[in-house]
Amino acid sequence: MNDTNRFLNRTLLLLIGLVFFVVGAGVVAVFAWPAAADWWSSASTSARTWMDNATRQTLIAGSTLSWGAAGSLAAIALLIVLLIIALARLGGGHTRSLVRTGGQDSPAGRIIIDTGFASDALRASLEHRPEILSSRVSVVNVRRAPMMHLSVTPRQNTSPGEIVDDVDHLLDSLAALTGAEIPSYLSIHTGLRSKLARDQRRIA
Amino acid sequence: MSTSRSTSASTAFRRIIRRETHSPRSVAMASAVVLAVLALAYVGTEIVLSLFSQPGLLLSPAAAGTWLSGLPDQQPAWAIVTVSLLLALLGVVFIVLALTPGRLPKHQLTRTGRVVLVDNAVIAAALAQHVSDHTGIARDRVTVGVSGRVVDIVVTPDAGVPVSEETIRELIAAELDVYQLVRPVKTRVRTAQQREGALA
Repeated sequence: MNDTNRFLNRTLLLLIGLVFFVVGAGVVAVFAWPAAADWWSSASTSARTWMDNATRQTLIAGSTLSWGAAGSLAAIALLIVLLIIALARLGGGHTRSLVRTGGQDSPAGRIIIDTGFASDALRASLEHRPEILSSRVSVVNVRRAPMMHLSVTPRQNTSPGEIVDDVDHLLDSLAALTGAEIPSYLSIHTGLRSKLARDQRRIA
Repeated sequence: MSTSRSTSASTAFRRIIRRETHSPRSVAMASAVVLAVLALAYVGTEIVLSLFSQPGLLLSPAAAGTWLSGLPDQQPAWAIVTVSLLLALLGVVFIVLALTPGRLPKHQLTRTGRVVLVDNAVIAAALAQHVSDHTGIARDRVTVGVSGRVVDIVVTPDAGVPVSEETIRELIAAELDVYQLVRPVKTRVRTAQQREGALA
C-alpha cells in the first residue's frame, strides 16, 4: 500500500474518460445522424467567425501574435504541467523510522528504531520456514502514524491459518524485543513464484 | 486518552483494509494521463509552429479548423468513424474504471485479532489441500474457486471411492472456521464423475 491519492486518480480517469467519450461519440453522431451533421455545420461556421473575430481583436499590436493563441498555449502548458505533477505523485508514503520516542520518554534520550531492523529480524525468522517462499516488510505512514506491513508469499497449498499463527508469534516477539507494540498488518499473496515452486514441503 | 488512541488506530486499520482490498486505479490513471498529455502536447506544438509561421507537423491550426468545420463530408468516413468509435469506447472504459469499486480478490481474516488480508487463490489452494488430506482424493482432483461470496468445490473421486458431498462441506466449514473470514461465504460442492469410472 502507498499514499497514492485515489480520489485524484478516479477524478482524472472520469474527466479524461468523459472527454474521450464526448469527442468520439460526437464525431460518430455527426457521421451517422443527419440532424447532428446539420447542427455541426452551422455551429462550426459560427464558431469560426467568432474565432476569427477574437483573433483579430486580441492581436498584439505590431505583430501577428494574438492573445488568444498565447492564452490557449499557456492553458495547454498549465494542463500538461498539472497532469505530470499528478503522475509524479503516484506512490510514496513509505517511511524509514518505525518507532520514534519523544526525547523525555526514556533516560537514554530519543530512540528511533529503523524499518531495516524490524525488517531484517522478521525476514530472518521467516526464512527458516520451509512453507514461506518470500517475505517483505515495509512501513507506511497512515494518518501520520507508522504502520508495519508484512507481506508474505507462501508455497502453494499452505494454510493461511498456519501462517497467521507463525507471523503473530513473530510480531509478538518483536514487540517484546522493541518494547513497543507496533501497529501492523499482514498480507498473504499468491504469485508466479508460488505457482512454480514445489507445493509440497520436502520431508527433511 | 487510551480510547482516543485506540479509535485512531482502528480508523487507520479501516483505511488500510479499504486500500488493500480495492484497486488504486493507478495504471489506468497513468495511461489516461499519458494519452491526454500527448494529445495536449501535439496541439501545443501545432500552435507554436503556426505562431512562427512554420509548416505544421500534420495540420496547421487553420487547416485543422477548416477540416473540422467540413467534418460531415470528410473522407474516408469509415476510418474517421472507426477511430472515433475506439476513442469513445476507451472513454467508456475509463469512466467505468473510475466509477466501479474495483474490489480486489482478497479476504480479510480475523483469526488472531491482527489485520490479515489473504489472496483468494491462497485460500482456494489451502482448502483444496485440506480436502485432499482428509478424504484421500488426489490433490489434483480437487478444484476450488474462492470469490467474494462463494467457495466452489469440484471433486473428481477415483472410481469406486464413495465421497459424500456432506463430508466435504463439513471439511470446508471446519477449515474456514479456522480462518475466520470477515465476509461470510457460501459453500458449493459438486462431485464430477470420471468417464473411465462410468465405463468400468
